[in-house]
Amino acid sequence: MSDVQKKTFVVTRFDPDRDQVPKTQSYEVPVEPDWKVLDALNFIKDHIDPTLSHRWSCRMAVCGSCGMLVNGEPKLTCKVALSSYGDTVEVAPLPNFPVIRDLVVELDGFMEKFEHVKPWIIRAKERAVEDGPMRQSPEELEEFKHFSMCINCMLCYAACPVVANEPEFLGPAAIALGHRYSLDSRDEGAGERNRIFRGEGTVFACSYANECSEVCPKNVDPAAAVNQAKLKAVIDWAAGLVLPRRAEE
Amino acid sequence: MPQHAHPEAMAPSKPGSTRTAPPLRPPQLPFAGRYRAYTLFGWTGLLYLLLGFLALRVVWALGDGKQAFDAVIASFEHPLYIAFHVLALVGVVFVGVRFFRLFPKAQPPRIGPVKPPPPAVILTALYAVWIGVTVVFAAILAGGIFA
Repeated sequence: MSDVQKKTFVVTRFDPDRDQVPKTQSYEVPVEPDWKVLDALNFIKDHIDPTLSHRWSCRMAVCGSCGMLVNGEPKLTCKVALSSYGDTVEVAPLPNFPVIRDLVVELDGFMEKFEHVKPWIIRAKERAVEDGPMRQSPEELEEFKHFSMCINCMLCYAACPVVANEPEFLGPAAIALGHRYSLDSRDEGAGERNRIFRGEGTVFACSYANECSEVCPKNVDPAAAVNQAKLKAVIDWAAGLVLPRRAEE
Repeated sequence: MPQHAHPEAMAPSKPGSTRTAPPLRPPQLPFAGRYRAYTLFGWTGLLYLLLGFLALRVVWALGDGKQAFDAVIASFEHPLYIAFHVLALVGVVFVGVRFFRLFPKAQPPRIGPVKPPPPAVILTALYAVWIGVTVVFAAILAGGIFA
């Protein structure tokens, strides 16, 4: 029988009914070589301390629920191997978010920002069913496909220095999603979204730290989307000056 | 010790019924890890502000006649001014390289019917133009052309 390796987990705890501020609590966990950080948190919850609260669901880096701060870096805890860390692993809730309990952060503000960019296909006139499907070529799909890979894990928000200082900033994932729909060949709402993007605290608040793209677990490259959205918003504004009919669209 | 983020960072427009702990900033912000380069990038703004004041001083001296202008230009030979200009040069190169890294990926897939060239071509063109403009200005300042 092989020796079981033990790691110390320093986990941030916060009980809104009892604690004024978050504190840390340490746990000794016997870990298996193939474990991810989430496996250790689940072990703590199941065998050591059932009061620990954390979010998780799919365990395969698809649902985006288990984003946390691991040794100071925003990570999907189901994706990062424990073997890549030393004997002590610090786990904290995502920065830049209000904390509801332990490792669980408040999501409503994030959802409001998403809604603001109108992340759906906007058509000037509804297409009749008898007109058949709206076809899209592989080349048209390629223009936005990687921006649609976002799993809403919020790691980009946790890493963004602008989000930390400017609450009205829409943030990387929401802008990337809005930009994804503006690039979609079936969509006719780019002008509407460009007006939103030109508004206060939106795309131009980004000062290109590029941290969103560095921490993105799905390689969506939100920094590219935000900066493309800036350029599109400016081109749209300039075109509106010389083509008044376009400005009215 | 991590610092607090803006108290309303990522807060919903209507607070929920549960009391929440205030958001913290990313712990490495502003001086650790990858944030160091970002913070330095922000601080180069101070260099440009000082350069702007210097340019205003030169223009002001120009209005006071040739003698005053020559005196200001001669003052730039002071070691402190030379050190400042070297620092400003480093700042400009740092910001330029950072901007060049961003520029290719900031291009939309297409603008109207026009598709931008591949990132490597854009990057090469940017550096070529930068070097070309630097050579031309160096030649002007050295009296090689327009003397």
